[in-house]
Amino acid sequence: MKKTILIVDDEEDIRETVRTIMEKEGYKVLVAVSGDDCLKQLKTEKPDLILMDIMMPGTPVREVVKKIRGVKIAYLSVVRTSEAEKEELLGQKNVVDFIQKPFDVRDLAKRVKKLVGS
Amino acid sequence: MSDIYQELQKNQVVLLLVPSAEYNQTIVKNMKKLAGKNVCYITLNKTFDSLKELFNKNKIDTKDIVFIDAISSTIKKTPGQTEGAYFISSPGALTEIAISVDKFLRHNFDYIIFDSLTNLLIYEKKEPVAKFVSSIVNKIKASKTKAIFYALSLKEQSDLIEQTSMFVDKVINIEK
Repeated sequence: MKKTILIVDDEEDIRETVRTIMEKEGYKVLVAVSGDDCLKQLKTEKPDLILMDIMMPGTPVREVVKKIRGVKIAYLSVVRTSEAEKEELLGQKNVVDFIQKPFDVRDLAKRVKKLVGS
Repeated sequence: MSDIYQELQKNQVVLLLVPSAEYNQTIVKNMKKLAGKNVCYITLNKTFDSLKELFNKNKIDTKDIVFIDAISSTIKKTPGQTEGAYFISSPGALTEIAISVDKFLRHNFDYIIFDSLTNLLIYEKKEPVAKFVSSIVNKIKASKTKAIFYALSLKEQSDLIEQTSMFVDKVINIEK
């Protein structure tokens, strides 16, 4: 059975780019346009990994992440953080990776494969 | 590339359009030019800790810089303020940002750096952002403080850049 990736990003370009990459890698892809939309979708869907933009309008991402249970989350971040902050974010429950934007397409695919398998 | 220090001798408020590939390099270069001056640095895309890390790595003394950090609170729990930094709830909290700028203008900083206009558009529509920028620039112009507004040179944001260009004294496009 195909693994499912939920892409959460307010920027359509990023959503579509990541969707194309993930579909090419053989994943089933869901998309959400905000943290709130992501929480809504999680009521009915159980993805294997959430790729979540860290900077979005609406509920702050740190509040959204607190409400997510039992699903791995990898941050996609345009925000620059210090190394210590990165470690702190990775220490949050469910948060398994921190991917800095702009990302390399092959690197993104490789990291997702490492996190959920193919 | 223009010498920002020289530009700010002739102009009070400058809009600097920077390609994303040269962004951090430009910020560092300009901060070095402003060394020893009192600077209020408003950050919407790099946390206070990461800016300190970036500046320290490039041997820029941060003791004369006060940071207004509008991004850290969106990703982690922050205190209201720490030594050298004030935290704002979100880059979309335009009123909070405006109040802080107002407060810091009263302290006669030599420079205010706004990093960056580009990030405001993630949280707010272009009309309130343009109104906010116009209001901030007017406040700055009523003071002796000089200002740099950074923005990414993106085609999608040409409307905001065009509108902001009307308020500032000079637009410098680093690509050109």
